[in-house]
Amino acid sequence: MAEVTPASDHDAPRSTRSGPGVVLVAVYGLLALAATGRSVLQITEYFSRAPLAYGLSAVAAVIYVVATVALARGDRTSRRVALVAISVELAGVLVVGLSSYVAKDAFPDKTVWSHFGSGYGYVPLVLPVLGLLWLRRTARSSPDWA
Amino acid sequence: MLLPLTVIVFVAALLLLALSGWYAARSRLVDDRLLLVGAVLELGVLVQAVVALVHLGSVPGDDAETATFAAYALTLPFLPPVAVFLSLKEKTRWSMGVVAVAAFAVAVMTARLQQIWNLGG
Repeated sequence: MAEVTPASDHDAPRSTRSGPGVVLVAVYGLLALAATGRSVLQITEYFSRAPLAYGLSAVAAVIYVVATVALARGDRTSRRVALVAISVELAGVLVVGLSSYVAKDAFPDKTVWSHFGSGYGYVPLVLPVLGLLWLRRTARSSPDWA
Repeated sequence: MLLPLTVIVFVAALLLLALSGWYAARSRLVDDRLLLVGAVLELGVLVQAVVALVHLGSVPGDDAETATFAAYALTLPFLPPVAVFLSLKEKTRWSMGVVAVAAFAVAVMTARLQQIWNLGG
């Protein structure tokens, strides 16, 4: 695969993995790892205990993996994929976060997104916001950080 | 598990976290000192993984705890090399952020390992 040229006087959007983006990719990668691990464990060990919560854990894991790969690739198609994945992620953490307080019975065990991601230092709540801001920022070509 | 080993890994991780944070603030890139701390940390988590696997049979709690314990111990050795590799590739101060994230993750996961081990009392 060809390397993206760093030339800033191009019309093309900047790579999503450059500069601060590399930190974002790293945090997404870590959450993808954590969510996948947790989800595999929950589903293989005790799925019947809380099917809804564990199903959502699996959904979250898939979304984190997709977002990580899309942000790390950073080409035009990947940007669109990342935008969808991160939007779903934001909606997910808000809906599941709220539901875990309102409908406690449906969530007898925790998911990555329950209680707005408090089990992960609220990183799952902050990350999609940063991700969306970053996608918007890199859509313009000239870097104003650095 | 071996408490001294946990302490060594934890301290090395915090040292790497502080060093990478400082380098990021000063816009410095990866150098020998950072690589040395990273290597010490890597050695620590490798030994920790071996010790953890050897003692896997005596992990307290149910199967889920044992599985988590093994998964954490085996995942840890991958974090420092990946972070260092990224910091060598991405030549901006932001790569120090990646090292900091990895160092923090190693500290948290090592604490979790010890926490699971302590369930046995």
